[in-house]
Amino acid sequence: MEGSARKIKDNAADWHNLLLRWERLNENGFNVAANIVNLRLSQSDQRQLLEESFSPSSPLSARTGAAAELQNECCKLQEIIDKMVTVVTKMQNLVTSQQGIQDLEDFQFGPKGRTFPLFHTWNMKQFELSFVTLWKSFSQELKLKQTILQELAHTGTSDLCMVYLSCWLYQPFIPHQVRLTLEALLLETGHRPL
Amino acid sequence: MSKSAVASVHQALRKNFESLESNQKLWRSTLADCSPLMESLGNLAEQTKALSNTQISSTPLRDFPDLEDRLRFKLSLAIDTVLGKLNEKMSSLQSVRDAISNQVSGVVQLYEQNTDTLDVVAVTERSATTPSIADMLEWLQDAERHYRQQFLRRKALLQTLRPDNVSLLESAPKRWTSLESPSAEDSITDALWKVSFFVESE
Repeated sequence: MEGSARKIKDNAADWHNLLLRWERLNENGFNVAANIVNLRLSQSDQRQLLEESFSPSSPLSARTGAAAELQNECCKLQEIIDKMVTVVTKMQNLVTSQQGIQDLEDFQFGPKGRTFPLFHTWNMKQFELSFVTLWKSFSQELKLKQTILQELAHTGTSDLCMVYLSCWLYQPFIPHQVRLTLEALLLETGHRPL
Repeated sequence: MSKSAVASVHQALRKNFESLESNQKLWRSTLADCSPLMESLGNLAEQTKALSNTQISSTPLRDFPDLEDRLRFKLSLAIDTVLGKLNEKMSSLQSVRDAISNQVSGVVQLYEQNTDTLDVVAVTERSATTPSIADMLEWLQDAERHYRQQFLRRKALLQTLRPDNVSLLESAPKRWTSLESPSAEDSITDALWKVSFFVESE
């Protein structure tokens, strides 16, 4: 196998690995996000207690300690998001690479493309479509996660905190079809036996 | 005549108690598997409720217009998965119940076939190690009724649950736990203790 086929097959394997990496980051990120919410909610409970008892002097150190912990967890989440940004950038590179292959194919075979498919049934357009679909889902999900990161530590209402957490865990912008698209890609390129 | 009838009923009773013991274990472990599932059902209900209580358009999430629908869909998908797993557990409970019911009705039938030869004395006679046939049949029928009722109650609870009815889902874990009937479970364990010498005295 060489040329376009080789390149596309390698790219498909990269998609697989990037999705796995994303899943791992998502899991780790969820644990950190849950910590932040717990710290945040217990902090606002404490503040309420303080205001009720009118004794602002004593637990000041406890407050700064909790604030430092919160800061620490937020940094961890930021690191995870940074890694997610890298993953999505790599996904974008795959899309660019596919567009390059497409241009090359157009140049070699004209606008109608090859007469025989590279692998089983897909033409170039289908590869491009699936690459773009995957990339769009993840970049939208990344935007959502970046918003959550900015807001999570400043949210006082427990309902909204919970919405943030369920958004993080259930990834609304990565529908089930994404998994199917990847599997179809792996099947087509021969990574999965037919 | 009566002696051989007693012996065959005793034999059937022994087998019954043996299978009751293993089925009791199976029942318990299956129920134990249900607890975490019930818990996550409650969690998912809580998350769905939090989503309904939140006006997304007045939060920083307003830039994601179709977020609410997508998240709601994902949550109901997750609820569906948990309900599916619970239904699988229910089929295991059902087969435990069926096994117990079949066994018990078998021994009761055997007893009824032999009522001519089994007089009151033979049925109520007992010793230090062997409870009377009447007692043992009663214990088995009590156990059978317990599992039958337990299964029906739990099945009925699950059948009321729908991904779109959050309040029912939310209260489900509590209602599930309230169905527990430790006294009935204890009396089955007690009965198994009382027959332990008898079962081993083959």
